[in-house]
Amino acid sequence: MTTVAGTPHVGHAHSDDRSFLRKYIFSTDHKIIGIQFLFVSLFFLFVGGLLAMQIRWQLGFPNQPMPGGKLLPETMAPDGVILPEYYIQLVTMHGTFMVFFAVMPLLVGVYANFLIPLKLGAHDMAFPRINMASFWTALLAGLVMLSSLFVPEGAARAGWTMYAPLSARPDLSGAGLGQQMWCIAIVLLGLSSILGSLNYITTVINMRAPGMTWFRMPLSIWALFITAILGLLALPVLSGAAIMLLFDQTIGTHFFDPAAGGQALLWQHLFWFFGHPEVYILILPAMGMVSDMIANGSRKPIFGYHSMVFAIIGIGFLGWIVWGHHMFVSGMNPTLGSSFMVTTMIIAVPSAIKTFNWMGTMWRGNLRFHVPMMHAVAFVAMFVIGGLSGIFMAATPVDMHIHDTYFIVAHIHYVLFGGSLFGLFGAITFWFPKMFGRMMHQGWGKVHFWLTLLFYNLTFFPMHILGMAGHMRRIYDPTMYDFLKPYQPMNQFISVSAFLLFAVQAIFALNFLVSLFRGAKAPQNPWQDNGLEWTLPNPAPHGNWERVPNVYRGPYEYSHPNATEDYLPQSQKLPGDPEPAAASRASQGREA
Amino acid sequence: MESVQHKHPPYLLIWLYLFLLTAAELGLAFQLPIARNIKLLLLLGLAVWKALLVAMFFMHLKFERWNLRMLLIIPLPLAVILVLAVITEKIW
Amino acid sequence: MTTANTDAMRPPFPAERGVDAYNTKLGMWVFLASEVMFFTALIGSYIILRFGAPGEWARPGVVLNVPVTAFNTFLLICSSVSMVKAYASIADGDQRMLKIWFLVTIICGAAFVGVQGFEYYHLIHRGFLPSGVREGSELAELVAKGTLSEASLGLYGSTFYTMTGFHGFHVTCGVISMIYLYFTKVLPGKYTQQNHGGVEVVGLYWHFVDLVWIILFTIVYLI
Repeated sequence: MTTVAGTPHVGHAHSDDRSFLRKYIFSTDHKIIGIQFLFVSLFFLFVGGLLAMQIRWQLGFPNQPMPGGKLLPETMAPDGVILPEYYIQLVTMHGTFMVFFAVMPLLVGVYANFLIPLKLGAHDMAFPRINMASFWTALLAGLVMLSSLFVPEGAARAGWTMYAPLSARPDLSGAGLGQQMWCIAIVLLGLSSILGSLNYITTVINMRAPGMTWFRMPLSIWALFITAILGLLALPVLSGAAIMLLFDQTIGTHFFDPAAGGQALLWQHLFWFFGHPEVYILILPAMGMVSDMIANGSRKPIFGYHSMVFAIIGIGFLGWIVWGHHMFVSGMNPTLGSSFMVTTMIIAVPSAIKTFNWMGTMWRGNLRFHVPMMHAVAFVAMFVIGGLSGIFMAATPVDMHIHDTYFIVAHIHYVLFGGSLFGLFGAITFWFPKMFGRMMHQGWGKVHFWLTLLFYNLTFFPMHILGMAGHMRRIYDPTMYDFLKPYQPMNQFISVSAFLLFAVQAIFALNFLVSLFRGAKAPQNPWQDNGLEWTLPNPAPHGNWERVPNVYRGPYEYSHPNATEDYLPQSQKLPGDPEPAAASRASQGREA
Repeated sequence: MESVQHKHPPYLLIWLYLFLLTAAELGLAFQLPIARNIKLLLLLGLAVWKALLVAMFFMHLKFERWNLRMLLIIPLPLAVILVLAVITEKIW
Repeated sequence: MTTANTDAMRPPFPAERGVDAYNTKLGMWVFLASEVMFFTALIGSYIILRFGAPGEWARPGVVLNVPVTAFNTFLLICSSVSMVKAYASIADGDQRMLKIWFLVTIICGAAFVGVQGFEYYHLIHRGFLPSGVREGSELAELVAKGTLSEASLGLYGSTFYTMTGFHGFHVTCGVISMIYLYFTKVLPGKYTQQNHGGVEVVGLYWHFVDLVWIILFTIVYLI
């Protein structure tokens, strides 16, 4: 019998006789793959944080020996003082690790994998083996990138955006092998991402349970679906560009070499054509999961579900035609720049719609401030701040002054940390019981939340002020500039806040690790949520359901008048609910 | 497998079309004394025509549902936007 | 060949027919969409660089061998026809013709790669490199004579080898996949009239590769 690749393994609840290796290491189970992504990405998040600590040391206390700096080799920090050559690697690799190996895999690799089959009522993804390949390719990419820090000449150092011609010229940048490894790692990661997107898109289109129509899908799945489309179409462009850059460095091609007729701006256009959809990849899944958490914490349906869906689609679509706003000062064609200004302003609208809808959801809700809800609400507030700074930057005349300053750094971190990372903290806490069968400690979760919120704002808010004062990005020693000297105390303040922020994450790390083994055993539906995944035991078994459930309603029927509880799961049948059309097909033994 | 039971499209006829169109391209590129810009447009048109024949008949897109066709049309405007936008760099 | 297995390849959802494509077929189309974007980056860059190139771009046929490549194009188109004939055969239940047409496809595909490899060897021998023109080569003499403008030759080499190289890489992957399927599924007769998704899916990939070449041949060799 032919098994055309992709027939999902129909799980049964009998004894699972796979070997340890098959069950936990080379697993094709989407939940295990999601958990593998979780551990690896949290590790890279930690690496990115360590790199940031070193950056903040140098900026806050320039040219002073760093505590622990003596452990670094002479090429990086002789006598513990960070060298400029090493500093620029730190800046480059912090961005690279955080964007590509921490936030993106945490949002997509973990939650697309873990949630999509569970929330849609499928046994597994459409292509379980391709899913496994996607994880191992991503891990390989991460290891190549990590190793690039330790090659003799050091890592890539043209900023995470890797602008040509600096990145194409080892004789100018000083980075040879490290730069090539960056390109190779990015191509590998692109491949992993594309394989993942393949799976997510096919699964969402083809494998929804009977009754799970498009407009009954939870917003987390909608967001992950649009994100997958963005990733599918954007990552290949980055891979192509990275290959061209690699060829420029190695076999002497001239794509980005102005002396031979190439165009340096070509790199910027290609990179940001990918880069802008990429930032929506980094925020949309968090928005989707936050919607789920806020509806749950408000015990109310999401306000304006349809407009939320159209807003996600709108953001996904508009995200393709705004990329030039990263290039306003590049010397690009000014007319082109103006059109990008207009499209960038327009894209604020769907995000605003989402913000008002979250507020509308909470309004007069029966609010439960459990840890995920706290993170979700903080997400909305911090994302608004990040979005508002975005409006400043969208206006080209303003951006002329604040581009490449700390104003941009503040914006990035408000949306990525205040947005994505808070969303992630909430999501990790929310779905921890489903993953591991235990609860994270809620008390420590609240302590972690408040301390993080405090130190995070103390770290990043002053950066707006620094940016408006003209403090440039990626500079090694601010005290070299007279106009920045008055702001050095602020730099120190930011650095100290950053150190405290990093230290506080130990609470989360410990909470996470200890709860894996000693957390309270979780009840089946600890958050009293409507999602299909909560109709399964914790942790969910291999194959998920014996029989795929039927879906009778949308995902946010909280406080429904006909229900006994204040939540009403999607698969719970009430008298009078019509059966979904394919129920008879299901009973013909398809799911046996 | 095939939800539509139809007679197979005339594959050999399509092959003949492709052969003729390719010959036309070669003739156009090297023999005919036509202005350069028009030649460019004609050649591109012929290439697109051939590509459409392959997509519609060999890849069976003509017989698939409209929404599958829609799914695949999405990347094309993106490609056009990217190329046109960057070309304007050299125009101004 | 249980109903469960066949049905598992069908969209299971209720009132909507969706895109009416089983998982592997939908997956392949989605993958091809990403490939469109990959070739967009390469071909788009070529268009952009050529548009803004200094000096004159080499005229068609001066550097590259159009007659040989035209033959190669013919080969690839033939392989596309044989591929679709293979698919039509098994859709009609004809195992024998499936094996024949499938083998023809593999041979034509492998021949394409061979001819392209030969073409690369010949071009490099003449002095055409990814970085431009090699000193002291046949092409360098053309430059010295004034037949070829040097200013854009670096770009010409860079874009030519990258685009055709990655296309050739995709063709090679296709040929290898087809050889694998030929020996594991086609020859043992594992495809049937009811169950031949693999043929359709590898066919889609193969036609796509042909389609890209149709575009490439025109804009690289003929313009």
